[in-house]
Amino acid sequence: MSLPFLDKLAEISFLVALSPLVTGWIKKLKARLQCRRGPGLLQPYRDLSKLFRKGRVISRDTTFVFRAVPPLVLGATVAATALVPVLAARPGSGGEGSILGDAILLLGLLALARFVLALGALDAGGAFGGMGAAREMTVGALAEPAMGLVIFGVALGHGTTDLAGLTAERTSLGAGIATAGTLLGLLAALVVLVAETGRIPFDNPDTHLELTMMHEGMILEHSGPGLGCIVLATHLKQALLMALVADLFFPFGIAREPGGVALLLGAAAFAAKAIALAALLALVESTAAKVRFFHIPSLLFASVALGLLSLIVRAL
Amino acid sequence: MITPMLAQASLLADPSALAAATRAVNLLGALMLVSAFFILAAKRLDHAIYASAAQSVLLALAGAVLADATGVRHLWVIAAITFVLKGLILPRLLMFIVARLRIDPAIEPTPLVRAPLFLATAMVLLAFHVTEPLSGLKQAVTGDALPYGISLTLVGIFIMIARKKAITQMVGLYTSENGIFFTGMAVSHGMPLFVEIGVVLDVALGMLVMAILLFRVRSTIDVVDIDDLHHLRG
Repeated sequence: MSLPFLDKLAEISFLVALSPLVTGWIKKLKARLQCRRGPGLLQPYRDLSKLFRKGRVISRDTTFVFRAVPPLVLGATVAATALVPVLAARPGSGGEGSILGDAILLLGLLALARFVLALGALDAGGAFGGMGAAREMTVGALAEPAMGLVIFGVALGHGTTDLAGLTAERTSLGAGIATAGTLLGLLAALVVLVAETGRIPFDNPDTHLELTMMHEGMILEHSGPGLGCIVLATHLKQALLMALVADLFFPFGIAREPGGVALLLGAAAFAAKAIALAALLALVESTAAKVRFFHIPSLLFASVALGLLSLIVRAL
Repeated sequence: MITPMLAQASLLADPSALAAATRAVNLLGALMLVSAFFILAAKRLDHAIYASAAQSVLLALAGAVLADATGVRHLWVIAAITFVLKGLILPRLLMFIVARLRIDPAIEPTPLVRAPLFLATAMVLLAFHVTEPLSGLKQAVTGDALPYGISLTLVGIFIMIARKKAITQMVGLYTSENGIFFTGMAVSHGMPLFVEIGVVLDVALGMLVMAILLFRVRSTIDVVDIDDLHHLRG
């Protein structure tokens, strides 16, 4: 095993280990904004350990698909994490001739996780699952192109879709990163971030019994360790998307040469960015109202339009 | 009055300040474009009015940046007038009219115009495409001001077409007018001062006329939806 490979493994473990903390921080912040004390920062860890210790109840009417869903979702999300630079961005570790993929594979893996999750929801045959899956796929069909536009808009200026190389180049821009294209792309990315993390105004992550729920509707039939896998994957996807937005639009502080100090600095920089982005999510979630499902497309259209604008501004 | 030539010469002294000014103009242009899109997508009148006020403040900022970078002094005057009149006074007047006439704050879309944001995006693409041969104008300080200005003008007119309340017509007019000002300020260091003041006064006057007319229309026929005018046939 080569050194870059071990580095990458450490990076993935870092994000997996810390992602529940990000959710805990958002929950805490939301509670404070509503003048509640809220659960402790470590509550998501306690929830996860409880889920992994519990037994599993599986409906008689499900097939093998249902049982395969949790590991597949978690696996796809962890694999996606490998493609996003979190602590270090060294093109050598993910550049030409490397075994890791690029932004297109990242989009594919996230789409795979979404697809598998919806498949499991349909397989269980519950009414909530079917509705949640239908809604999730509708939102996904609009959020994925928006996400793609954001990434490709940035990639266009640098001629590569390899995220490590892209991030390294973005870092070397310094203050020159503040262009009109970056600004428009960032606005589009923030809308997609809210949509993809399933937060208000798109979906309500706190509800467990509501006709409007999307994500919670899909995972209603899962229990025990299986549910634990899916919940962990949800935490991870959220942290992963934050890292992606940070890489593309404010990559400062990310480690560019090997060494423990640089990695520590990268970790500190990522923590600061995650705290800021999480605060933004909590603020949006506390001030905005959930929109009607049929208004969600117009919100995502706005994001796609901004992404297109950033592309136009960069390309012409 | 300092000629553009002299101003250019004074600029070339400091390339880094120049690059910063160019970037600032581009960023402000992009933000103004975002505000125009926001107005187009707004579902409530007050949101559209606030966005238009923010847009005028951005225009004033762009004027200040250009004045600072080029040393053309009358741009400061234009920036100040824009900020006070279009950023502060006119939006308040619009809000006052909305409150006073108890206009329904919901903006209904015109059924004939589908996917307004995409049409507006196409207009921006058009503006960037037709100005491509003029990239000689993308010089220091100016940046992409020409395509941004043209986009704003087009989107402003589109807002007037796609939304049917009298107030949204006014907001659309501001947007397209802001676009013309932005282009004028950046590309030619502003029109002569008197012309610009005249245009601003025209807009203010237009606003007053609209306000008085709205009050009259309201007191006579109780509706301020211009769509009903279509039924009038001579």
